[in-house]
Amino acid sequence: CTRDFEEINTNTNAPVTVQPSLLLRQVIYDYGEQMSYEGFTAGNLLGQYSTALDFNLFDRHDLKSPQLGGNPWPILYQNLRDNEILLNLSQENTAFAVYEGPARILKAYMAAALTDLYGDVPYSEAFKGNAETVTPAYDSQEAIYLDNGGILNNLELGITALENYTGTIGLEGDILYEGDLSGWIRFANSLKIKYLMRISAKVDVAPQLQSIFNEDNYIGTNMQNAIFNFTDGEPNNFRLARLRIGDFNNYVLSETMEDILKALNDPRIERLYRPIGNAGDNNFKGLLNGIDASTGVSVADYSLLGTIFRENTGLLDANFMTSMETHFLLAEAALKGYISGNTESLYQMGISQAFEYWQVPLPENYIMNNAALEDGMELENIITQKWIANTINGYDGWIEYRRTGFPQLRTISASLNNNIIPVRMPYPAEEEALNSNNYAEAANKTDGNSINVPVWWDE
Amino acid sequence: QDTITGTVSDVNGNPIPFVNILLIGTSTGTITNDDGYFSISVPSRTGELEFSALGYTTQVLKINNQKNISIALTEATEILEEVVLTALGLKRETKELGYVVQSLDTEGITEVKSVNFLDNLSGKLAGVTINQGATGVGSSSKITIRGEASFSNNNPLFVVDGVPINNASIFNFTNEAAAGFQEIDFGNGAMEVNPDDIAEVSVLKGPSAAALYGTRASNGVIIIETKTGKNTKGLGISYNTSFFMDTAFQLPDFQNEYGQGNSGAFAFVDGLGGGTNDLITYSWGPRLDVGNLVPQFDGPVTLADGSTVRGGDTSLYNGNTITPTEFRSYKDNLKDFYRTGTTFINNISVASGFDKGNYRLSFTDMRSESIIPGVNLDRQTIGTRLNFQPIDKLAINSSISYINSKSDNRPSNGYGSENVNYSLVAWGPRSLNINNLKDYWQPGLEGVQQYSFNYTYFDNPYFILYENRNSFNRDRIFGNISASYDITDNITASIRTGMDYSSELRQLRRAYSSNRFKNGGYAEHDVFFREINSDFLLNYTNRFNDVSVDVSLGGNRLDQQAFTSQSQTTSLAQPGIFRLSNAASPIEVFEYESNKRINSLYGLVKFGYKNYLYLDITGRNDWSSALATPFSVENTSFFYPSVSSSFILSEVIDLPESISFAKLRASLAQVGNDTNPYQTSSTFIAQTPFNGQPTFSNTDIIANPNLQPERTSSFEVGADIRLFRDQLHFDISYYNALTKDQIIALPIGISSGYTQQVVNGGEVRSKGLEVILGISPIVSENFSWNSTVNFSINRSTVESLPQEDGRLTLAYSRIYDSQNQTVFFQVEEGGRIGDMYGTGYLRNENGDFILTDEGRYIPNNDLQKLGNYNPDFMVGFNNRFNYKNWNLGFLLDWRQGGILVSRTKALGNVGGQLAETAFRPESGIVPEGVVNTGTEESSVYVPNTIAVSAESYYRQFYDRNHEENNTYDASFLKLRQLAIGYTFNNLNLFNTDATLNLSLIGKNLFAITENPHFDPEQLAVQGNGFISGVEDMSYATSRSIGCKASFNF
Repeated sequence: CTRDFEEINTNTNAPVTVQPSLLLRQVIYDYGEQMSYEGFTAGNLLGQYSTALDFNLFDRHDLKSPQLGGNPWPILYQNLRDNEILLNLSQENTAFAVYEGPARILKAYMAAALTDLYGDVPYSEAFKGNAETVTPAYDSQEAIYLDNGGILNNLELGITALENYTGTIGLEGDILYEGDLSGWIRFANSLKIKYLMRISAKVDVAPQLQSIFNEDNYIGTNMQNAIFNFTDGEPNNFRLARLRIGDFNNYVLSETMEDILKALNDPRIERLYRPIGNAGDNNFKGLLNGIDASTGVSVADYSLLGTIFRENTGLLDANFMTSMETHFLLAEAALKGYISGNTESLYQMGISQAFEYWQVPLPENYIMNNAALEDGMELENIITQKWIANTINGYDGWIEYRRTGFPQLRTISASLNNNIIPVRMPYPAEEEALNSNNYAEAANKTDGNSINVPVWWDE
Repeated sequence: QDTITGTVSDVNGNPIPFVNILLIGTSTGTITNDDGYFSISVPSRTGELEFSALGYTTQVLKINNQKNISIALTEATEILEEVVLTALGLKRETKELGYVVQSLDTEGITEVKSVNFLDNLSGKLAGVTINQGATGVGSSSKITIRGEASFSNNNPLFVVDGVPINNASIFNFTNEAAAGFQEIDFGNGAMEVNPDDIAEVSVLKGPSAAALYGTRASNGVIIIETKTGKNTKGLGISYNTSFFMDTAFQLPDFQNEYGQGNSGAFAFVDGLGGGTNDLITYSWGPRLDVGNLVPQFDGPVTLADGSTVRGGDTSLYNGNTITPTEFRSYKDNLKDFYRTGTTFINNISVASGFDKGNYRLSFTDMRSESIIPGVNLDRQTIGTRLNFQPIDKLAINSSISYINSKSDNRPSNGYGSENVNYSLVAWGPRSLNINNLKDYWQPGLEGVQQYSFNYTYFDNPYFILYENRNSFNRDRIFGNISASYDITDNITASIRTGMDYSSELRQLRRAYSSNRFKNGGYAEHDVFFREINSDFLLNYTNRFNDVSVDVSLGGNRLDQQAFTSQSQTTSLAQPGIFRLSNAASPIEVFEYESNKRINSLYGLVKFGYKNYLYLDITGRNDWSSALATPFSVENTSFFYPSVSSSFILSEVIDLPESISFAKLRASLAQVGNDTNPYQTSSTFIAQTPFNGQPTFSNTDIIANPNLQPERTSSFEVGADIRLFRDQLHFDISYYNALTKDQIIALPIGISSGYTQQVVNGGEVRSKGLEVILGISPIVSENFSWNSTVNFSINRSTVESLPQEDGRLTLAYSRIYDSQNQTVFFQVEEGGRIGDMYGTGYLRNENGDFILTDEGRYIPNNDLQKLGNYNPDFMVGFNNRFNYKNWNLGFLLDWRQGGILVSRTKALGNVGGQLAETAFRPESGIVPEGVVNTGTEESSVYVPNTIAVSAESYYRQFYDRNHEENNTYDASFLKLRQLAIGYTFNNLNLFNTDATLNLSLIGKNLFAITENPHFDPEQLAVQGNGFISGVEDMSYATSRSIGCKASFNF
């Protein structure tokens, strides 16, 4: 009576195992696609690049009420899961060994994105629900950064794996570097710089930074960036090109960004934003973040986001790590004496690469005049330039504001968080419901999942 | 010894089976067969014969040396159903049954016909709940029997002429987020059962009755028997025709004081934010009907050459001045939008009996135009039945139905721009003249650019319904062929094979300029389903003195194959050409095939002692492929037994004369339940390709290779008491069932990498009471009044959960992918299935809202229980009056209790459209609530005195992020049916005795309910399933008035 049952109940719609290249392409594309969208719809609001006119509880810092975007938790964990499967495949099967390096680097990259947003998160027991527990315990941010199996360790192991790889089977599915392993090593070194800077208030990072700087094997030019290009047509265009025009028109230039770009007389405003609908000419206008939507403001009075985010998304990249960001980080490291480099030239390199990245000609006097380092304000200058360059790069502008205090973000107009700018994302409600014991412990350490309790590196 | 033969019929000449015939003063007796025929051996042709049958007046007749006796029995009352269909197609006398079976005859079903077969059952059966879908004619209806006891599957099984048919609703593939195709309901499988072909419907409500139908019967069985030509003398032709006119049943109650805009201001420029508040279509704008002149989308624009276009013709004529026009209200704009729908149903049938059998052929044509413009449903059904007895011992039967259903458009469900209610109700401004939207192309851009009142979020509703069509065309055949052979007088063997096959093509068209499809879109969705059931049955009957024995042994193989494939493009090269070859972006394909086999062996033993004690014992073993893994069949076998008994008290004890019949019954049963295929192993799923290169991701569900079948154990007791010569019929049942080891995709935190894990676990106790009261207060020659009251009450309580603590989420209904806009259907230990959770605003211990010192509510993001969607109890009250040739029938349906979460209430009030928001004083509104003037630790609450603007107040109070303020009591009392008819007898038409019945019919005539905005019967769609308890931007249901004529030759 059970003849053929095994066969009948074998799912013919989908494979039980997959080629690692399919997973690698999936993780890079999905993460890049989703986090760029997050960057536009939520990261840009927290980082005060732009503001939402309506349906804007998130912009008013009720971070538990996201609408379009604002919930990166599942994006990160789903991709960490697929990446973990990729990492396991690379270790189980010698034929797949070439994937170990990229899988470790991506694991470090996504783990950092996660912990920098939320603080302590499920990590060492996480994203292995099919093999281990479905209620993973939370790890401290410090452990996630510093322990074996953590961010820095995985970057190290990833680089080692790539350097030691002697096989001839190439890396496929690599939409960042087309299988160029040296690109991945540079990517990993740039990430090391980034994460060492991020924890630099807690850990003595100078020796490591100096050695990476000396080795000079990090992302040095825009050609070496860890990015992929969106297309103009479906399905690989930027998501805002697919959504209804109303969803796009809900976002306008923020007052914070307006003031900074206008003070710098920065032509990138024309790339990133549009002139006001009614006024014609090159008139840009921003709005203070977090309005009470029922007071009624007219979108015609403010600048929408640029055509690169909707009509011409073929010009837009999903940004994992760039040369400009690396140089701004090194400029800061030099400024703080962690490395023996020239702050100003690193800073200037960052700016010129940022203009190149955004495909805007660098005005002749911009570096020497408009954006010149000012005495006593060097850190603000560096971080502000990095902030501009990192538009839609996930939540990075906001994360670096939390670390450095720059650029000086505004008190928003109708805050739902007592006029305090949040310093972490709240754990999503599903954790409370579905991982309750572990959540309870984590909530306990964050004053009941408060968005005003700083993460470890920000304490 | 002499033999007397004869027939027993009713007054109309129809034979009566199962009439007890007794030679008075002896124990010699017999019963009539299906044709009313009997044969009895008597010592001599003297004495008296007593003819008795349930539902008929007992008669005594002297034999008087007659050899052949024919007699007509008069009906005691019409309400009694003496023989009912039970499992395995066995016709059984109700008195024998140890469980309750309720049935409806042809008249009960077709007196007032509905397009969806399930709707014909509504209110007529105790413990059966029917909910109509939200998208007008052609929508699915959801049926549950005795409430919901399973966490995952509560669908009853449908059986037509002994073979299961499919009642699934298969949705299209959708995209989450506010892009791509929304869900479309293409109807449920059982809607296609043709009421004109039905002879009888029986409902087996509990596991006892259903035990023999196996795994799918744990939620009850609807058994349908189609008409045959059996009792037709000569050539019986009948023709009936029905015509209905439908109007919108209940439309939202709007405010008509304020028009489009924000903060009291509005001017249209481009509908994209270029004007004053023309980005979005709130009705927080200027006063209406006070002579304000405002530039509007339909205001005239005079071009340089003197010609005029409309303000909304912005694509070619933007930037011109729109002449301001009067800002006035259009009180009936939604009413004007819905049209009068029509439904024509024509049925003709031919039936006849001949010496070796009988046949019936029927053709039904149903054409329905919905009240929703552009929406329709056409269905043609051919039904055939053939019974052929080439020799006495062999009978060959077939029953086959062929159905073609199609629609030019099925409207989209749920919240989003593809549902016209999005732009008509929630975001349809009160200053909108809907009639001016009918010409929906911009001049010179026909087929390319729609014309609308807003271009940011909303599509012109006429454009949606006439251009963005979701059509389907479905062919379906279900039926079976069987043969039975009498091996001996006591042993019968039969075999049968039946199939339900359907193949359907859906085409989803999206025109250029649609908000979700700038360059159009197109999808083809193929849906294929085939289930084959083959079975055999051996039957042995005998009688040993006072004991009758009936043994049946059988086996069944079920093979089910379902395949669905959606190929789509989200941009078109050339507008207006809806072909995959016209794709301007890579074609995406979503496919899913599933296969399942269940093998079963079962047995049934029935004992009868004298005529008052009956006992049934059943056992069934299923082997289900869905419980196999690719490597093991270990868990695939499961056995479940049942036992039931009936004791007819009135045959044993002398009861007062007023009690004509009294029966007690009890049963114990278990049913196993398997699951959908492929829950036992995980796979990887293809995702969006990058530059044409494939990507795969692991499924988000952790499979379970150790799945066990679900088990339901039930206990049922009941009594059937008839009083005053059966004029009062009282039937009561109590049941208590426990469903355990439920198979459920348990939600788990995504931090585990997965969102769900397939597990066994959880126990739900389901208890209930059903009372059927049949009353025939007046039965006389000229006038009769029969009524039936169905009362039922059900409670499904969760006794344990498959997880350690917290609540289990069974389903959700959300607007956007946001925790705060989601109604969670969760259960906790001690809670009930149907409990809904959502968020609200902070309250103090007295239940007062706590406000900020600016007079604002404070969100409370902790989930709180909103209520339960199940009614506390249900009552159906069905009446039928006959006076001479006149008849009158009406059906009242009362559901008491339960709540509904309403998206129309939330969004229509946030948008300032509904009547609740008409009150907008200049001084603002002082929200009711308290302010804490003390400290956080020791609070002092004083009533709030701070006013906020009316707009701020309503927008916050009804905010969709907080469901608490957006619920209604779901109770209602509905006049579901009303019919008045007259029958002309003995019409001398074409030299035959024809009868003609003419009826005037009304459906859904009125309802008494708390909410002023919509029909309280609601069913929403989320993902690929139906959700009760949420009104999700539903379309108006319809009120029908019509007439019916039936000829019988």
